[in-house]
Amino acid sequence: MSNIIGNHVAGSRLSQTGGSLQDVFNPSTGDVSGQVRLSSAAELDDVVKVASEAAPGWGATPPMKRAQVMFRFKRLLEENADKIASAISSEHGKTHQDALGEVSRGLEAVDFSCGIPHLLKGTFSEQAATSIDVYSIPQALGVVAGITPFNFPAMVPLWMIPNALACGNAFILKPSERDPSVTLILADLLKEAGLPDGVFNVVQGDKVVVDAILDNPDIMAVSFVGSTPVAEYIYTRGAANGKRVQALGGAKNHMIIMPDADMEQVVDALMGAGTALPESVAWLFPYLCRLEKKLRMI
Amino acid sequence: MAVSVPVPVGEKVADDLMDRMIPLVENLPVGPPADTNAAMGPVITRQSLDRITSLLQSGLDQGAKLLVDGRGVKVPGHENGFFIGASLFDHVTPEMDIYKEEIFGPVLSTVRVTDYEAAIKLVHGNPYANGVAIFTRDGDAARDFVNRIEVGMVGVNVPIPVPVGYHSFGGWKKSIFGSHHIYGPDTIHFYTRLKAVTSRWPAGIKAGAEYNFPMMS
Repeated sequence: MSNIIGNHVAGSRLSQTGGSLQDVFNPSTGDVSGQVRLSSAAELDDVVKVASEAAPGWGATPPMKRAQVMFRFKRLLEENADKIASAISSEHGKTHQDALGEVSRGLEAVDFSCGIPHLLKGTFSEQAATSIDVYSIPQALGVVAGITPFNFPAMVPLWMIPNALACGNAFILKPSERDPSVTLILADLLKEAGLPDGVFNVVQGDKVVVDAILDNPDIMAVSFVGSTPVAEYIYTRGAANGKRVQALGGAKNHMIIMPDADMEQVVDALMGAGTALPESVAWLFPYLCRLEKKLRMI
Repeated sequence: MAVSVPVPVGEKVADDLMDRMIPLVENLPVGPPADTNAAMGPVITRQSLDRITSLLQSGLDQGAKLLVDGRGVKVPGHENGFFIGASLFDHVTPEMDIYKEEIFGPVLSTVRVTDYEAAIKLVHGNPYANGVAIFTRDGDAARDFVNRIEVGMVGVNVPIPVPVGYHSFGGWKKSIFGSHHIYGPDTIHFYTRLKAVTSRWPAGIKAGAEYNFPMMS
């Protein structure tokens, strides 16, 4: 097996020799398409050291310069959308159109992060007492981490990465071990966009790496999206270690159909949102596209 | 995030909805990403496929009515792929596993309710509270729903209310742990910490410095 999916640390892909390998499948054929190398806790700790060294310089970089990296990242994501979508489809299985939709919804968070100079302006109270001013400034946390699910291997990382970086943090991502490849493309594009080495790192792995993230004292915050039992575990263990944690869990989304509803609209919505786009397998984009087409026709 | 539980209010709406949905769900094209006609690809692993299949069986065993059965769908040339067709359940009740579990597969589990208040009660009885939607032409019902429903993201005639990138994504109750939603304004708070500075400066240079050449007055 030649396709070994490894880490991205300090600006380059690592071709480690140790560690166990886990099969990654092409779900359309059932074939093994590659193997992801599961990192150890010690490797995660080493990556945290790399990120810790990179964080102060990046945090001190003017927000406008950080925004310029995000503008370039946005352009690169747009230019490489097809390539990213193919990487998603080959390991996740969703249609190319759904994969493009995923990239597009992830891009929205990159767009937002381009406005970071405005978002970090802080607040100022002049003359809070005679000759005394009080002001609040938002500052970066340092090293933060993201743990992301298989269902949106590009979008959910993009929900975290651009804003965490634009705020001046260094970021460590542990993607799902079931579709790990696409995050390495994101890492390459961030580097190409001018992000300094070590500010963004990808560590492949399973629960061993998750626990190492939750226990490492130099990681200040953890973002997670996944199932509710795991979200609760991550929140509890991370918070017990004094970290900020946002852990988004499961869903069972209801759609109430009132007797006066437009049934054609209801059916269209359900086919787009419910079946073609099942619970966290795919979604919104095709529905919105169809809706947009309809609206344009009016 | 997607809709998995259609909740038609009243038997007439429910019957009408099922009549319309059956042929569409039955004919939903499934195929590999390269097939541009496919509306849906495979699920991600064999284990995932087995889990969905066994949950479908549990729905049948527990008395739900399986109107469209997506099991056994074959995609020519991809016999070993992890494909499953879309499935449609009717007459699902809150005690059933297909209602309680997050299926992570193309399965719609229809729960019929008699009136609007029963619909609200159903949603509130579920431990998850990520997204919800209401479809109606009535502004009063929609407004009351938006106001009262205890769910983090609400759609009005929009099935999947994933907010745009300059708002934030997140549910309530068992759908989130922690105080910040993801992306958008909330994420800026999450990824920064505030430093509050109180500053006072003594009287200084503006009172006049003593660098002038001394003059006789």
